[in-house]
Amino acid sequence: MKKRIVKTLFKKFNTEPQFQEQSNTKDIERKKQDISSNYDQNIQTFKSMFSVPKNTDIKVREFTIRALNRRAFIIFISTMVDVQRIQESIVEPLLENELTTGKIRDIVSFPIESTATIIGEITEFITGGMTALFIDGDNQCHLFETTNIPGRSIEKSDNEVIVKGAKEAFNERVIDNIALLRKKIKNENLIVESQVISKRSRNDVFLVYQKDLANDELLQTIIDKLTSLDTDRILDLSILEQYLEERPWSLFPTILYTERPDRAASFIEEGHIVILMSNSPSCLILPATFWSLMHSPEDHYLRVPYGNFIRLLRLLAFIVAVFSSSFYIAITNYHVGMIPPDLLMAFAGTRERVPFPSIIEIFMMELAFELIREAGLRVPSPIGPTIGIVGALILGQAAVQANIISPIVIIVIALSGLSSFIISDLSMNFAVRITRLLLILSAGFLGVYGLTAFCMAILFYLVSIKSFGTPYFAPMTPHFFSSKDLIVRHLPIKERFRPGYLKPKDMVKQRKE
Amino acid sequence: MKQQLGKLGLREYISIAILMVGAKATEDTPIHLFSKVQNASWMIPILSAGIFFIPLFLLLKTMTLFQDKDLFSVIQKLLGKYLGFMVCLLIFLISSYAISFDTRSYANIIRTFYFTTTPNLIIYALLMVVCTYGARKGIQHIGSVAYLVIYLSVFSLWFALVLCTQKSTFQAIFPIWGPGKLEILKQSSQKLTLFADFFLFTMLIPFLTSIKQYKKGTWFAFVYVSLQISVAILIYICLFDVGMDGLAYPFHTAIRFISIGSFLPNVEIIFFVTWLMSAFIRFTAFLYLNSLMFGHLFKIKDFEYVIPSLATIYLLIGSIPEAAVNASTEFKALSLNISGPAFAAISIILWLAALLKGEFKREKNRNSM
Repeated sequence: MKKRIVKTLFKKFNTEPQFQEQSNTKDIERKKQDISSNYDQNIQTFKSMFSVPKNTDIKVREFTIRALNRRAFIIFISTMVDVQRIQESIVEPLLENELTTGKIRDIVSFPIESTATIIGEITEFITGGMTALFIDGDNQCHLFETTNIPGRSIEKSDNEVIVKGAKEAFNERVIDNIALLRKKIKNENLIVESQVISKRSRNDVFLVYQKDLANDELLQTIIDKLTSLDTDRILDLSILEQYLEERPWSLFPTILYTERPDRAASFIEEGHIVILMSNSPSCLILPATFWSLMHSPEDHYLRVPYGNFIRLLRLLAFIVAVFSSSFYIAITNYHVGMIPPDLLMAFAGTRERVPFPSIIEIFMMELAFELIREAGLRVPSPIGPTIGIVGALILGQAAVQANIISPIVIIVIALSGLSSFIISDLSMNFAVRITRLLLILSAGFLGVYGLTAFCMAILFYLVSIKSFGTPYFAPMTPHFFSSKDLIVRHLPIKERFRPGYLKPKDMVKQRKE
Repeated sequence: MKQQLGKLGLREYISIAILMVGAKATEDTPIHLFSKVQNASWMIPILSAGIFFIPLFLLLKTMTLFQDKDLFSVIQKLLGKYLGFMVCLLIFLISSYAISFDTRSYANIIRTFYFTTTPNLIIYALLMVVCTYGARKGIQHIGSVAYLVIYLSVFSLWFALVLCTQKSTFQAIFPIWGPGKLEILKQSSQKLTLFADFFLFTMLIPFLTSIKQYKKGTWFAFVYVSLQISVAILIYICLFDVGMDGLAYPFHTAIRFISIGSFLPNVEIIFFVTWLMSAFIRFTAFLYLNSLMFGHLFKIKDFEYVIPSLATIYLLIGSIPEAAVNASTEFKALSLNISGPAFAAISIILWLAALLKGEFKREKNRNSM
């Protein structure tokens, strides 16, 4: 009720500004029409649509088809096609062939050929890198898939480094990405569904899933969400992620973003849905739980004891990264009695000549650490090592000698900073770092009590987060049937079930004999 | 914005029950018991569990007749519109009274032991704010958080109790009958309040998948909790002996006594954290239950919206006692003596009403058909 009043008031005072815009209804109308069979009219239409002499890389080539003795033209974007192939397998046959079959299909040797009649559709294909052939007197247009977009080759994964296991990563070419997934899952049930999501740039996304595993309801929600997007452009998958999320303001991520095809494939096999997008060297995996964000593919590649060792190490790192600075504040400011006397003396001795309260000290060092981290990321690689030296030298040694920071604070910050690197997921990493700052404030406010109170509030928040209907801590709580791949993992032979929260069509991976 | 909520799982329900009732061993309840029956007070939880078993059994039997109905619906169905309303109102008032002074006593504990210079209101208000936030999220989410912290909380409680045994003398439990068998029996029938929460948990039946699950969880938690409270009190007695009389909060005194090895002499903060976690869960669930009752009484469908107001009222009521001693000995002792017997009586009345109305026969006929 109150919310509604506030909303209406907000709407009243925050109206959409009016602009003097040029109408493009004529263009839109034109796009809906069919092409004509008149050669001159067609060439006129497409030349004006692509502003031909002005638009340098749009090429229109007019010629006469010898076999039919009719005028024709092809139109393509020279930067997006393989010109050599157009010359060899489209233009040359058309010019030289003398057979009078009357069928383009028999003349042109280019492998993939289709036809279209609507102007808007043809324009879309041409902008996608296809070559369109118009023939005088023919009321349909022939399209050849001559796309050849330059891009990176498949390289090693940079951001999710592992020692054991596949190394290749997604790149910006979505065709390569799909191929990477296809070669891991050789099954006809692997569906790659494409969908155009934006109006102006016409970015397309690909939904990849196993038809006989993925829950239809989940799939439908995702498709509905994608179709309901009303925007002129979404250039990258990471922007699409923000459109898809239920709570874009939340500190904690609810969609898994990875650049590793092996990881994506393993999630597809469990019944998750993967979203790929052209021009994005990564994929989105939905739904994602807290556990999937904490795990690394290496946990499964290593043998069980080693995999569990690094998993427990990561859990420990998570706890250290979140709590060490705030715990230090709480203990030294409120609960001094807890520290053994000898240690307390050592603490007090190093802090003796530092003029700041410890919370200011911690905040200064946290800020310094974040600065080094961000600078190290943005700095051009030739001068990268300098940052490390400067950071370590100035902030470590000099700050202590100048009595600005006590050495114990440097240990605490270094420990928590180091630990935060172990959480490999970028979004989770940010969540941990920001939560840490909030926890420091709460510990400074009321010691361990404030810290615990805030943690409980965070826990209440976390359990209420949902990622496409999946609770954040599923399948631990609320309980779902699964292979119990949570804090520790089990032998691959024992992991016989797909996660129950996805409601997959096929729950059991391998039945008992 | 309204999210579709699932059911409360069995393990989540058990976690809530254990944290809510089990927490009674770690506040001032043991002292209330000790002041009456001295070193025999460890028997009280087991004996009163035995006594409370009967009304609880009858209540659950009655509840089974009305599949998936909560306590208040059953009361209003069995006792009629007006009498039913009065009984429900009585239950709500008793539990409101209880939550007000229970929360106050927790705020007192935090203040006396850890934040001696902080104003009580700040500590109390923070407790209520977090509980309100949690309760607004709904019982399913309270259950999830309870499940996330239960292992830590139970493990650390037992760990603390084990550490306590290092410095305790077992002979302190003698004379074994304390002030006399009759007094023990009298007190254990009065201190049914230890398990009063189980009576209130019947409000949660519609949230569970089935009443069968609910019964399973209830009995498990009931047995475990009575053992836990009993063992905890036994260990306090062995540790403090007659010195218990002068204490206010034995658990917190005990964790100040213990140490892990000789290097870590003061480990109370570790146990304080886990104790706090269970305290938050306890009052979040309690607050939710109270608002559920309130919503039911006054036909408020979206009762989640009244939680902040209720919490504020409880905060104000809880702030009435000037000193911590008053809150514990006068105000809380009253609810400790009244609510258990009252709830037990209501349970038996409900069963009798169902019996006299012939609901059990009808159920039998329905089954045979």
